Amino acid sequence: MKKNQQSISDNHYFAGMNHRISALFKKDILLEFRQKHTFYGILLYIAATIFVIYLSMSESPNAVVWNSLFWVIQLFVCVNAVAKSFLQESRGRMLYFYSICSPVEFIISKLIFNVILMLIMSLISLALFSLFLDNPVQNGLKFIGIVILGGTGISLVFTLMSAIAAKAQQNAALIAILGFPVILPQLMLIIRLSKTAFAEVFRDGAVMQLIGLTSVMDLLVVVLAIVLFPYLWKD
Amino acid sequence: MNKFILTLIGLMTSLITSAQDKPEMADLLRSNGKIYTVVAVCLTILIGLFIYVFILDRKISRFEHETKNRK
Amino acid sequence: MDKSWWKILSFVLLVYTIVCGFLLDVPHLFILNETIRNLYFHVCMWFGMMILFTISFVYSIKYLRGYQYRNDIFAENFARVGALFGILGYLTGMLWVNVTWVTDQGQSMASVMKEPKLIGAAIALLIYGAYFVLRGSFTDIDKRARISAVYNIFAFAMLFPSIWIIPRLVGSLHPGAPGGDNGNPALDRNDMDARMRMVFYPAIIGWTLLGVWIATLKIRLSLLKDKSIINE
Repeated sequence: MKKNQQSISDNHYFAGMNHRISALFKKDILLEFRQKHTFYGILLYIAATIFVIYLSMSESPNAVVWNSLFWVIQLFVCVNAVAKSFLQESRGRMLYFYSICSPVEFIISKLIFNVILMLIMSLISLALFSLFLDNPVQNGLKFIGIVILGGTGISLVFTLMSAIAAKAQQNAALIAILGFPVILPQLMLIIRLSKTAFAEVFRDGAVMQLIGLTSVMDLLVVVLAIVLFPYLWKD
Repeated sequence: MNKFILTLIGLMTSLITSAQDKPEMADLLRSNGKIYTVVAVCLTILIGLFIYVFILDRKISRFEHETKNRK
Repeated sequence: MDKSWWKILSFVLLVYTIVCGFLLDVPHLFILNETIRNLYFHVCMWFGMMILFTISFVYSIKYLRGYQYRNDIFAENFARVGALFGILGYLTGMLWVNVTWVTDQGQSMASVMKEPKLIGAAIALLIYGAYFVLRGSFTDIDKRARISAVYNIFAFAMLFPSIWIIPRLVGSLHPGAPGGDNGNPALDRNDMDARMRMVFYPAIIGWTLLGVWIATLKIRLSLLKDKSIINE
């Protein structure tokens, strides 16, 4: 009987947690719609960067160059898109969140929101890339899958980095400094993995291994974020 | 005469190749004992370094002692 | 004086390293020739760096558990000496690379730089560079200690999988790594000559202890400097 009650209250707790996470998530989306200029700003950033590359290249790049350019652009887009997620929250608003929800709920909602934001940005930049710089990708669907996987990993890491950098002064530049060395291995994994979409032949099972490794790294980042964020949270 | 030169060249090439079969080590440095000079130089640097660190250690110890006594 | 036995041990081990490292016989190998003795010095820098970073990581965790300012000072200074070892390792590695891989095997410097162990080392140095930049950007001491401890833990926890993953992505020239995509990059213990192991392991311990000694000196200095803060 008692156990039953316990589980009911547990369910209640988790339902409440889910509810709070979704509420925070909705708030982020609402903010995004209210402050459309930041969203459009990032879109313009993507378009301008790709246009600069398009003009500076006399001809369409080959597959290897295209691939590395694409991922480097993803990295910078992510820095810009995710950076504001903690910087935009004013001190007063943070205090408010502090009183209504736990840090774990807060970071989870931020992670989910940033992943989705990053996925949208990645797909848009993929479209722009194929428009301006041709598309050497042979297996489009596979590449989109890889883009989703890679975008998730990058945005997860930079969410936590932006949480750290938000606490320091001169934070915008700090995110890149903090994040790049940490993201490098994942970026190398992803660049290697995306070569499957360029019809490069891999050893049996190597692709699955790469996907597995990337997912494990993502999982590690999420776990670390949940464990470490409460220490960043309180002031 | 020609044959002699040919054998000589053959002998020399075989000598050279046999010398290349084994990795070349600094055996001369070892045999004439000059390696001890290298060891001595490195040891001097190491000992000098340690003396420096040791003196620093003692200085900090003394300083710690003083601040503790002042309290 | 009774507590300083490990300082003496460090000294004795390093003297042993230099004497035996230069005088004992080593395996005769092509290309490497006598430079194989660099193992006792160059490789030990990397091992020392990793051990010091691990100590720093442990102190960062300890800091977050109790918020004792002492532990932050420990974490910072171990990381600093670790970074010093890393830079020394990088410099000595460059010298060694020049005579073995670049000139004798005709590799270009750019391809050598893509070496997995070099990438791992570069990532480690960049991470700790970022750690010091992060520390420098705070004025509030408690905040600095807490935030940089979080970054230290996160970065260190990410560093280890990276070091394990990268060699599986890039071919390696390093011994113990039979190139290609599927090579196992782990340092093969059986590969190393027994005579070399006799010197190599003591050398690691000796260099690491020296690093720890220097770190403790720095820690004691900053403890003295910040005495007023800690006692409050």
